[in-house]
Amino acid sequence: MIEIKNLKTSIEDKKILNGLNLKINKGEVHAIMGPNGSGKSTLSYALSGKEGYDVSGEILFKKKNLLDLNTEERAQSGMFLAFQYPIEIPGVFTNNFLRTSLNSIRKAKNQKELNAIDFLKLLKEKAKSLQINQEMLSRPLNVGFSGGEKKRNEILQMALIEPEFVIMDETDSGLDIDALKIVSNGVNALRNSDRSFLIITHYQRLLNYIKPDFVHVLSNGKIVESGDWKLALELENDGYGKYLN
Amino acid sequence: MDQISSAIDKCFSSLITDTDIKNVNDRKEEFNKFKNTGIPSNKYENWKYSSLIKDINNFSDLTISKKKPNVNLKKNLFDFSHDKIFLVDGILHDADINEKGLKISQYNNFKKIGNNNPLVCLNNAFACNGFELEVKENSKVKKPLVIYNYFTSQMPSTFINFQHKLVLNSNTELVVFINNIFQNNSKFFCNNVTNVELKDGAILKNYSTHENNKSSSLFNFYNVDLGYSSNFEYFNYINNTSSCRDEININLNGENAFASLANLQILDQKYNHESKWVINHNKENTKSSQFLKTALHDSSHSVFQGKIYVNSIAQKTDGYQLSRALLLSDLAKFTAKPELEIYADDVKCSHGSSSGSIDEDSLFYLRSRGIDEKDAKKMMIQGFLAEAVQKITDKNFQQLFLNKLALSNEY
Repeated sequence: MIEIKNLKTSIEDKKILNGLNLKINKGEVHAIMGPNGSGKSTLSYALSGKEGYDVSGEILFKKKNLLDLNTEERAQSGMFLAFQYPIEIPGVFTNNFLRTSLNSIRKAKNQKELNAIDFLKLLKEKAKSLQINQEMLSRPLNVGFSGGEKKRNEILQMALIEPEFVIMDETDSGLDIDALKIVSNGVNALRNSDRSFLIITHYQRLLNYIKPDFVHVLSNGKIVESGDWKLALELENDGYGKYLN
Repeated sequence: MDQISSAIDKCFSSLITDTDIKNVNDRKEEFNKFKNTGIPSNKYENWKYSSLIKDINNFSDLTISKKKPNVNLKKNLFDFSHDKIFLVDGILHDADINEKGLKISQYNNFKKIGNNNPLVCLNNAFACNGFELEVKENSKVKKPLVIYNYFTSQMPSTFINFQHKLVLNSNTELVVFINNIFQNNSKFFCNNVTNVELKDGAILKNYSTHENNKSSSLFNFYNVDLGYSSNFEYFNYINNTSSCRDEININLNGENAFASLANLQILDQKYNHESKWVINHNKENTKSSQFLKTALHDSSHSVFQGKIYVNSIAQKTDGYQLSRALLLSDLAKFTAKPELEIYADDVKCSHGSSSGSIDEDSLFYLRSRGIDEKDAKKMMIQGFLAEAVQKITDKNFQQLFLNKLALSNEY
């Protein structure tokens, strides 16, 4: 599904990722854990094509090198980044944004764009399981949303777009236990044999709810250890100390 | 400059020899007041950021003719149910008024406004044949009144002055929508003064569009006097307009009076727009809001001068002001001058102003959802501007302007 080869990134001459290699097959869930400053968020931005980074190496996704594509083209080809801090955009209404997003992606895939009625039907169905009500969808995008509402909105977008590869950047941050459950259930409902996930997190807690197939430790811009989900438990007990230099 | 002054002089002399003209002495007095200052240049503090001289020099032909242009009035009618007033080149042309409580008449007697704006004096000297609209006591007018304001290709002069008056008596309600229609790209200077009187408990919602004016220069002046518990709501949609100055003078003369002013502006090329708003809180417990959003492309320039004046007796005043500009090119310019002049000690006044380019993080967020950069930018510009539309309390008109905004701005 996705193969990252020797990925290096820097911002204003500061090196962040130093030759990262990772392969994720169809249907697999990988978790990347690491201390602050290890390059976790940079990895999510490099994968999704945020401007401002010098990036080298290769990111092969469905046989294309993503580094040749811009942000929207990556999204249109089936990648989705769930933000750590979803952005508030005043004046842009949530339901309008969701429809524009979905239709942009459908258009790029040569699928028929949804009209307002069909879209609202779909939206209602998807929103229900995430306990998102109509009132929230008629507000400006993420403006005045609680931390939990913002993250649920991210999962809602994921559920609508149905991407093939999902990156979740510290989705558990700022969530209380109930919200964490709703969000995890939303993610688990989307797990299937065709969809892959890369979950970036500090804590093992999220991984109790979304059980990964593989866990990797990121330190100083490289993967320094890989294992199964038990590695997350070890990290929870022992901390990141032994991976730091 | 001298040339244009003597042209205005000549024009005025020919105006007052016309036997139909009333109030000749008053007009002379106003004209002399205008001449004392002349066409405002950037020497004056108020006109520092948006001098008129360059504009006025373009319009040297000041002859006034009485030719009545032929206009197809049916062409631009809205499809919702409404009453109509048709103005053609500044003159009351026709009206179709069916709602009870509305009375329209020709307005030839100007009202002297106690401010020393030279352009208002000029308007007082020249304006004829406007309209006066009165809403009778206790009339809550249901249908909106649309004023179709035509600027035609048969315009008799390049110098138009017109003046109107709206009087809303006690406990009345009215929604007015002024739709400026420019039929061609001829150059002219238009000086438009509107007097509004809101008696106790009157509510006026005054919406307007000023679009697709490629070469002329407009000066719009509103003087609004508000009585007890009256309410003035103003929204102006400005798009693709070459040169315009909107000046509003609000007098909150009765307790619990409230005035809300909102502008939505989209400018490109070398177009310029200035809003000069003055809110006078003259009684206690009065409230005001000023809200301006402007999206500036190319070399356009927008100026906002907003003032909140609080009289020493106007305790418990609540005054709010925010102006925000989106600069979409390196050459676009926004000038803001917020002013507070407060003589009472128990008041709440806030003001803010910002200008900046499109937020990169927001743009990245939208693009990461598969939305093309161009569309994402458009969404953000529209979202930014839509906040001004939210100030409109009439739901039908809010939707009308949101639809207009969605169709505009194809950048």
